[in-house]
Amino acid sequence: MTLRRENDLLRIETTHANLLLKALDAVLCVDGDDDPFAGVFSALIPVFECSLAIVLIEQEGGGDALECVAASAAPAVGSLWARDKLLGKALSGRIVTTVAEAGAVAWPEIPGLGLAGREPALYLPLGVRGRRGLMLLLRECGRPGFDRAHVALAKKFSLLASHAFAAKRASQTEAESHRLKHLTDQLAASQRALQHRANHDQLTGLPNRAYIQELIGEAIARRGPDEKLALAFIDLDDFKRVNDIYGHAAGDALLKTVSERVCSSIRHTDIFGRISGDEFVIVLNPVTRRSDISALVNRMRARLREPFSFEGAEIRPSASIGVAIHPMHGNDYETLRRHADMAMYRAKTISKGGVAFFNRQLGKKAMEKHVLEHELRDALDSHAFHCALQKKVDIRTGAIVGFEALLRWVDRHGAVRLPGTFLPLANELGLLNDISNLVVSDLARALPRLDEVFGTSVHYSVNVSPIQAVNMQFMQGLVRRLRDTGRAGSFMLELTEESLAATGPFQSQVLPLLRDAGLRLSIDDFGTGYSSLSTIADLTVDELKIDRSLISAIHTRPRNQSILRAIESLGMALGISVVAEGIETNEEKLYLMAQSELRIGQGYLFHKPQLLGDLLKEASPVTPDSSIIDGGSMPHEAGRLAIAAAAGGLGSIVLRRDCGCNPPKV
Amino acid sequence: MTTLKSFTATGDTTVQALAGLAGAIGETSLDASLVCVFYDAAHDDGAIFDFLRARFDRAAILGGTSCNGVMNQSGLGGPRSIGLLVLEDPEGNYGAASTRLQGDAADCAERTLHAALEQADCAGELPELIWIYQAPGQEESVIEGLRRVVGDRCPIIGGSSADNDVSGQWRQMGPDGAFGDGLVVAVLFSSGGIGYAFQGGYEPSGESGIVTRIGYDPVGESGVVTQSAGRQIISIDGEPAAEVYNRWIGGVLGDKLQNGGNILIDTTLHPVGVDVGKIEGITNYLLIHPDKILTGGVLSTFASIEEGTRLYSMKGERTRLITRAGKVASAAAAMLPGGEESLAGGLVVYCGGCMLAVGDEMPRVASAVTGSFRGRPFLGCFTFGEQGAILGKNAHGNLMISAIAFGE
Repeated sequence: MTLRRENDLLRIETTHANLLLKALDAVLCVDGDDDPFAGVFSALIPVFECSLAIVLIEQEGGGDALECVAASAAPAVGSLWARDKLLGKALSGRIVTTVAEAGAVAWPEIPGLGLAGREPALYLPLGVRGRRGLMLLLRECGRPGFDRAHVALAKKFSLLASHAFAAKRASQTEAESHRLKHLTDQLAASQRALQHRANHDQLTGLPNRAYIQELIGEAIARRGPDEKLALAFIDLDDFKRVNDIYGHAAGDALLKTVSERVCSSIRHTDIFGRISGDEFVIVLNPVTRRSDISALVNRMRARLREPFSFEGAEIRPSASIGVAIHPMHGNDYETLRRHADMAMYRAKTISKGGVAFFNRQLGKKAMEKHVLEHELRDALDSHAFHCALQKKVDIRTGAIVGFEALLRWVDRHGAVRLPGTFLPLANELGLLNDISNLVVSDLARALPRLDEVFGTSVHYSVNVSPIQAVNMQFMQGLVRRLRDTGRAGSFMLELTEESLAATGPFQSQVLPLLRDAGLRLSIDDFGTGYSSLSTIADLTVDELKIDRSLISAIHTRPRNQSILRAIESLGMALGISVVAEGIETNEEKLYLMAQSELRIGQGYLFHKPQLLGDLLKEASPVTPDSSIIDGGSMPHEAGRLAIAAAAGGLGSIVLRRDCGCNPPKV
Repeated sequence: MTTLKSFTATGDTTVQALAGLAGAIGETSLDASLVCVFYDAAHDDGAIFDFLRARFDRAAILGGTSCNGVMNQSGLGGPRSIGLLVLEDPEGNYGAASTRLQGDAADCAERTLHAALEQADCAGELPELIWIYQAPGQEESVIEGLRRVVGDRCPIIGGSSADNDVSGQWRQMGPDGAFGDGLVVAVLFSSGGIGYAFQGGYEPSGESGIVTRIGYDPVGESGVVTQSAGRQIISIDGEPAAEVYNRWIGGVLGDKLQNGGNILIDTTLHPVGVDVGKIEGITNYLLIHPDKILTGGVLSTFASIEEGTRLYSMKGERTRLITRAGKVASAAAAMLPGGEESLAGGLVVYCGGCMLAVGDEMPRVASAVTGSFRGRPFLGCFTFGEQGAILGKNAHGNLMISAIAFGE
């Protein structure tokens, strides 16, 4: 942060130095009696954002008033200005600027200018024609005044311009010329030094983000019609761990080593820079074939992987690299960098230390993700997420025993979006808790109506993702919402085996909270996770939901039939209710009725999820509350996720473990 | 040419400490333009003020009490210390004025700034820097009043005076003596240039929530806050604020959550922060220090918060609080128009809460600043609120560090 602030300051100073050189040029390069101020004004006015510039000097005859000898508005020239306190201070060499509401000063009436004397003003001392003088910069009344940065710039200009005028007046005597040359040389040298500091990273000496952008822009502009260049985005793997384990000195040393190694691996025509903490970019210029790029990148990668020693510790660095090629993958720095970044991310996701090239597929995915992100945020703002319910029934009598609350996104066209298509991103963006809260609020609001229609004995299940289950803040909010309904005992939280079996905060903090609130617990998707019998025995859960993969076509699958019997025995032994989910065919139902003791089931055979409004409308003559959305019946493919987070697609068990998310069931 | 000298002395009585200061100053002839004075709240204001007026009759005076004394280039002064920073700058202009914060604090601040400009013989001019020292409680209003005159066009740096035990014994000293509920404003027009920095050494810990209800206690007769902003956070995300905050920080408040009380030291490493903007995508936070738990789980803070603000849980480390002071001093020196080489000395405002957390390692803080200021004279005070410019905007925060560097 400090480095960035310093860079900002350096860039401002560089801009100032350039401006000063330009203004001084205007003073020094004007011949004979030509007005030197025209150039000065044109250089200064845009930077100081002023509307009027006036040069006042003491009169030759020694009168008290000051004479205007130049101005950006011609009518002011020749006007006489009474010497007030601020003019006096400026004449004595002080830069002065005014505060808001400074009292009005008596300035001359100049036709066409209408000076009120309250204009924000900046006074710059200036020696002109051997006499004391000043330049007065004015902004229009009502505009903000000049700030300290303007004062600092004015100070530099005032000093150098006075010297320049003095030199000109002395007809460029040798001594003055020498002195002036010395001054301008110093300024130019300081400008070069500032420019270098402003453009380079202080740790590695490499071009920084702003400069690399400039260099790449130039390289692209110089490129011939058939020439290509490639931008490689390098991200060090586990750099944070190096800092955490070995300290920031080690991190800094590693960054320096990396920059040295890369510098030694690239060609003199390539450009290499550091754009942030552990991120570097290289522009390989020129390149002809993709295989050339691969060879260069692999050479660099091999150098980067060489062990690095720091104070006796050996660190094995690696970097993930993404490559985008100009012009195929972008015509400007920003596009190329973004695409190379995407490719790097892809490489890192597959395997740290890898290399990936950008391709259109990646670009398409990124664009889709970008659009979806916007839609998700809009949907959240417009409360487009709603609660749908799916019945749990007594498979033997058909009686409704409960409902599972499910998430539905009804987009602005009225279409229902599948949770599997947006939950992974919602999870990544940290929106899942807000979405979940909307769904639970929907359900809580509709509870009195549901009671009227279905009675108070049915229970409602809501899903909680593994990440949410260990988020104490979220769980406390959820429990509070359910408690506020006055019916906490009617709710059951469906958690995965993973959540329930986890040690740590879930066991020590969340479980007591849930039990204290009187909420019931269900193990969802049972039979697909890692629960050990001993863990289950320790947990006082109320329900096991057998995963649909075990129920699907169970009448034809002897192995699944055995597992079902085992789970059923386990439930009976522990006094836990067992539910079969995903019952979709009559054959499955008949098998369960004939070959098991199970009573409760759930699936499309009995009921497809319905938005609350539809369900209530269908079940009751009462007009649904306007706050409950009407919608069509759920498509068969609609996901069965309530407030659970989802990982991408039908993830494997390993994926579930890694990301801690519940894969969508379709 | 600007020169600075800094003196500290410690004594069981004010007379002893002042004798020590007189000895340190010796016969040196000082034509002071500005004198900053900070001292342990146990000392006698009258004796200190008389001492200053007798020796520096023409100087602008600004200062007040500082938690457990002061620090300078010689180290930590410790309890019962008094410190002086004497600035001589015949080519510059300096002025100070003071007032009691009675009635509208913003109006008081505005009037006092104009008076200080008059004192500096610079009425109507934008100062290079405004230095303030005030009673804790109305800092946001004071800054608002000053901003009416100067906007964010010049930095407003300063501190909220502190006592040793948060019992309200803090005082502020200006050209008219000391107050317990006052504001002192100094305006600086230096000839050698000024650099400044204002930073905190904390990072977000992950949790955040929206302030859903605010309350406030009027500060004497002059407590004016809007209905939607104040220093008592009643609820965050609809829950009692103290409960939410305690969860964020891992339940360290223990019994105090039920019984209430002072939590200043418990929370020094776990303040809350407000997002004040980004630099190249990196968020800057203004820190706010919760100091007490009040009845009903209300969280009292040292800075005002608006309803609807998202509060972030922040975390800090003791070692970072030690090194950060040096970094802030370096950042201020680096800003000098003549570069770090031109440094004449400086002033540091270090949060009293951080000082209490750093405890017996405070001498390392003084060393860090001394190193960054290259051994040049400086004076550091310990405050219950810090003011400075962050992302170009003047603001009041807690657990922050402000530094001013003066160029020769």
